[in-house]
Amino acid sequence: MGAVQSVFTEQELDNYQALTYLSKRAILNVYKRFSSLNPTAILHDKNARMPFSTVTDIQELRANPFKDQLMKVFSSSPDGMTFEDFLDMISVFSDEAPKSVKVEYAFRIYDFDGDDMISSNDLKEVINRLTGDDNAFTEGEMQLLIDNILEESDLDVDDALSFAEFEHVISKAPDFSSSFRIRL
Amino acid sequence: MSHPYQNTGDFDTIPMHQFNPAFQSASLERQSALPPDGTHYEFATYGYPETRAHLEPPGPELHRGGFRSLHRTQTTDNRYGDNRETKDDIAMENLLKRLPSRQLESAANNAAKTLHRRHSRNKSRHGAIYHSTLRDGDLEDMIGSSSLLDADEEERVEEAIRSTPATMATRRSMIQKLSSRKRKSPGFMKRMNYSIGMGWKHFKDNMAELKYTMQLWHSHLKKIEGHFGTNVLSYFVFLKWLLLINIPTLLLTLGFIVAPQIIYRWLQQDTLGYISSEKFSGMELLTGAGWFEPTELYYGYYTNKTIQVIGSKSYKMQVAYLFTCGGYYLLTIIILGQSILSSYRKYYIEAGGFQSMQIVFKVLCSWDHGLTSAEAVKLKHKSVYLEFKEYLAGANKDKMRKTMIDRCKLFWLRVFTNVVVLVLIGASGYLVFYLSGTQLNRNTLFSNQTTSAAGVSTNETKNPWLLLVLPLCIGLIHRIMPIMFDFIEGYEQYEIPKSELYMHLSRSMVLRVTTLSVLVIYWYTEVSQSPDVPCWETFMGQELYRLVIVDFIFTLFSTLISELIRRLLVGRVKRVTHPTFALARNTLELIYSQALCWLGTFFAPLLSLIVIIKLIIIFYIKMISVLQNCKPSERPWRATWSHTIFLGYLFLFYLLTTVAVACGIIFIKPSIGCGPYQGKDVMYSVVPELVDSWKEEYAWISTVIYFVSSPGFIAAILVALGMGVYMIRTIMMGRQEAVQRLKQQLVLEGKDKTFLLNLLNQVTERHTCTSVSTTVRPLTQQISPQDDIVSPGGRVFVRSLAESTLGGR
Repeated sequence: MGAVQSVFTEQELDNYQALTYLSKRAILNVYKRFSSLNPTAILHDKNARMPFSTVTDIQELRANPFKDQLMKVFSSSPDGMTFEDFLDMISVFSDEAPKSVKVEYAFRIYDFDGDDMISSNDLKEVINRLTGDDNAFTEGEMQLLIDNILEESDLDVDDALSFAEFEHVISKAPDFSSSFRIRL
Repeated sequence: MSHPYQNTGDFDTIPMHQFNPAFQSASLERQSALPPDGTHYEFATYGYPETRAHLEPPGPELHRGGFRSLHRTQTTDNRYGDNRETKDDIAMENLLKRLPSRQLESAANNAAKTLHRRHSRNKSRHGAIYHSTLRDGDLEDMIGSSSLLDADEEERVEEAIRSTPATMATRRSMIQKLSSRKRKSPGFMKRMNYSIGMGWKHFKDNMAELKYTMQLWHSHLKKIEGHFGTNVLSYFVFLKWLLLINIPTLLLTLGFIVAPQIIYRWLQQDTLGYISSEKFSGMELLTGAGWFEPTELYYGYYTNKTIQVIGSKSYKMQVAYLFTCGGYYLLTIIILGQSILSSYRKYYIEAGGFQSMQIVFKVLCSWDHGLTSAEAVKLKHKSVYLEFKEYLAGANKDKMRKTMIDRCKLFWLRVFTNVVVLVLIGASGYLVFYLSGTQLNRNTLFSNQTTSAAGVSTNETKNPWLLLVLPLCIGLIHRIMPIMFDFIEGYEQYEIPKSELYMHLSRSMVLRVTTLSVLVIYWYTEVSQSPDVPCWETFMGQELYRLVIVDFIFTLFSTLISELIRRLLVGRVKRVTHPTFALARNTLELIYSQALCWLGTFFAPLLSLIVIIKLIIIFYIKMISVLQNCKPSERPWRATWSHTIFLGYLFLFYLLTTVAVACGIIFIKPSIGCGPYQGKDVMYSVVPELVDSWKEEYAWISTVIYFVSSPGFIAAILVALGMGVYMIRTIMMGRQEAVQRLKQQLVLEGKDKTFLLNLLNQVTERHTCTSVSTTVRPLTQQISPQDDIVSPGGRVFVRSLAESTLGGR
């Protein structure tokens, strides 16, 4: 497994393997990528925190419109992301993670204001991020979109999607797992 | 006053052990409020008995996007004395009975309970949306309590910990707590189970590691996904999968057929080389005839003798050939069946009825997180934007119902076009038949010259190109007919582009099936009887080899034309748009080539090797072409549920080829003079002879076979199978019904909130006169912003509720 193997003990690797959905080699690969962001800091302290801007610079995340939410959801503190948080993120986005775990995190990612519900404002933000900066909808179109979304999925008619409704919708989406995936 | 809401300042818990939960709903438990001032509220939760929501203000470690990591911790202390509890219980119970969702309780209760119990016994393996078998409260319970765990439960708890949405530090502490507990010292059986389970788990882990390192083409697939998304990726993944399922076939044929043949030749030491009057020229690669003919490539070369290897051990070639063929067909059907079932389960059963949720899917599931290149992301933005615009346009349009006359006209138009299509397909079939006839003559002349070593010279010039006429024609038919189908479909006025696409694919498929079946029937009937062809199996093998090669060449050409040349023409010629990757057409071509492989492997055992090489070359060519020439399509395409359809087509082709080869084995007389079955009546007769020989050696086999093939036994098996199917079907219907009820329940649970809010309004209104007038004001102050009353979810609702009850004291 190369020189990187000296970083983790066998026990630690076993631990990581039990806690995530990745294989040992995958974990080491994640470590390699993470430490390449700032090798000196990581060498000094395995659990160093990287500022968000450095982490989102990796090729897989650079173009993702939800990268700031990803950082916010997976980090254990607002100052930055440690290796373990990063590992957590890659594990959730891997192939082996079950759909229930992905749905949990997808809900948090789409919940921009953090109130446990995907309200109209959250949906508005999601649509804006999806269509990018140069494509915009008029106010009326946006409202129509949101109304239709809520009509289809909001079961208790409270103008917001709770986790149950979100899960209910996603359970019917066949291509959710394949699109909610990042390969490192 | 013993009003249920007004006993204390807090909003009371509802002791759960007193009533039955309607169904386990983790959802409502989630709507735990986080009042910013940090006061403790115990909020009513449904669903799990003896769970109380004990809300804590978010600690520094738990603050992640406003979420708490674990939804509930369990408090077992009971604040209130028993007396008050019973009175409150009864009142609360009465209230809860009036909730809308409880109306279905009696019926749904039993169904849900048994369903949940059954589900909790099954492990959720396929990434299904089932909740983990342990509820979070349960999890805490198991980790914290002092009772001992056994291996099974421990594994489940570990799995539940792994899927808990908390930080890694929290999970690690949970696992440490778990491992620090004493385990039950298990009995002997349990210990053995545990060690076997552990060994199996280690084996699976090692396999996963191996799989990770040996991923074929991982970086290439990642590049394609980054540029084009999961749609185009699905084609390449399908190609890789086909490659992988051909490898066992190849290994079986190499190991059991080709290797013994080579050993036999080596043992014979008759001829140290191939008997051939032809020199090897490059043409043979194309035509497969000539030098290739009397080699291991074709059936005709294989011996029918039993090979004496060491002393008395003998290897019966006849038996081996047939059983190897059966072996790889069986293997293939197992692999195919498994993948179809898993794909069907994933995309149809769990999706079930997703047609109604178009826009929600588009918003919530359409972003492909695997996209990495900036250009692809920009295109994806545009594509999503166009999709939304299209949806908006569709939503606004009035759906005009067609009049009766219009519908009649459309119906007859479609009947007419289908008749036209069938006529076209029939015409192509006849063309193929006619060409095969002339081909037979040409081939006879050609091969007569190779086999007649006596040097009978004829006036015909040996032109190997003549052999390629039939395959070229067939290839042209397969490429040109779909263009005509496209043209016809333009008139058929399909509303949904997807149904048009599937119609087109079905027609192309029927065309290919027709041409192939005409060929096979011709070969079996005419060629095998023809005196001019000494070895019809080799002839068939050669024809199939040529078909494979020509198909390969046509694929290369069509890639060239449709992608490279179009890209070059984009700027220069008007009305030529940028090429996009035609997923459906390419996948169908892959399926067809695989069908040819299955059909031909019996008659040309090394054909699977050739198809593997062909697939590898096609992968690289397509990949380079896509990356250089194509742009991602702006139209969305749901690659996932079309995956099931393509697997279905593949399976259909597989069945047809199996039937064709089986007919050949069972009904057609093998040629005299070549191949492992020379001189036999039918190839299948090897099997009864084998069984007879066993009967001579072991007498009991004949009784067993007699018993097994007796009508009573077979009838009994059929009856058992029928009963099994019936039972599974009734279970399925029961579960469907339970699902329907649960869906209704879900909707009604949501209405609970509105009901409670109305009730609260009534309650507070009733108390305005007796209490301080300020009670009303906090509520009204909260109500006046319109969205607060309309969206009673989350913090806002409970805060308003709590403050109103606080004010009402």
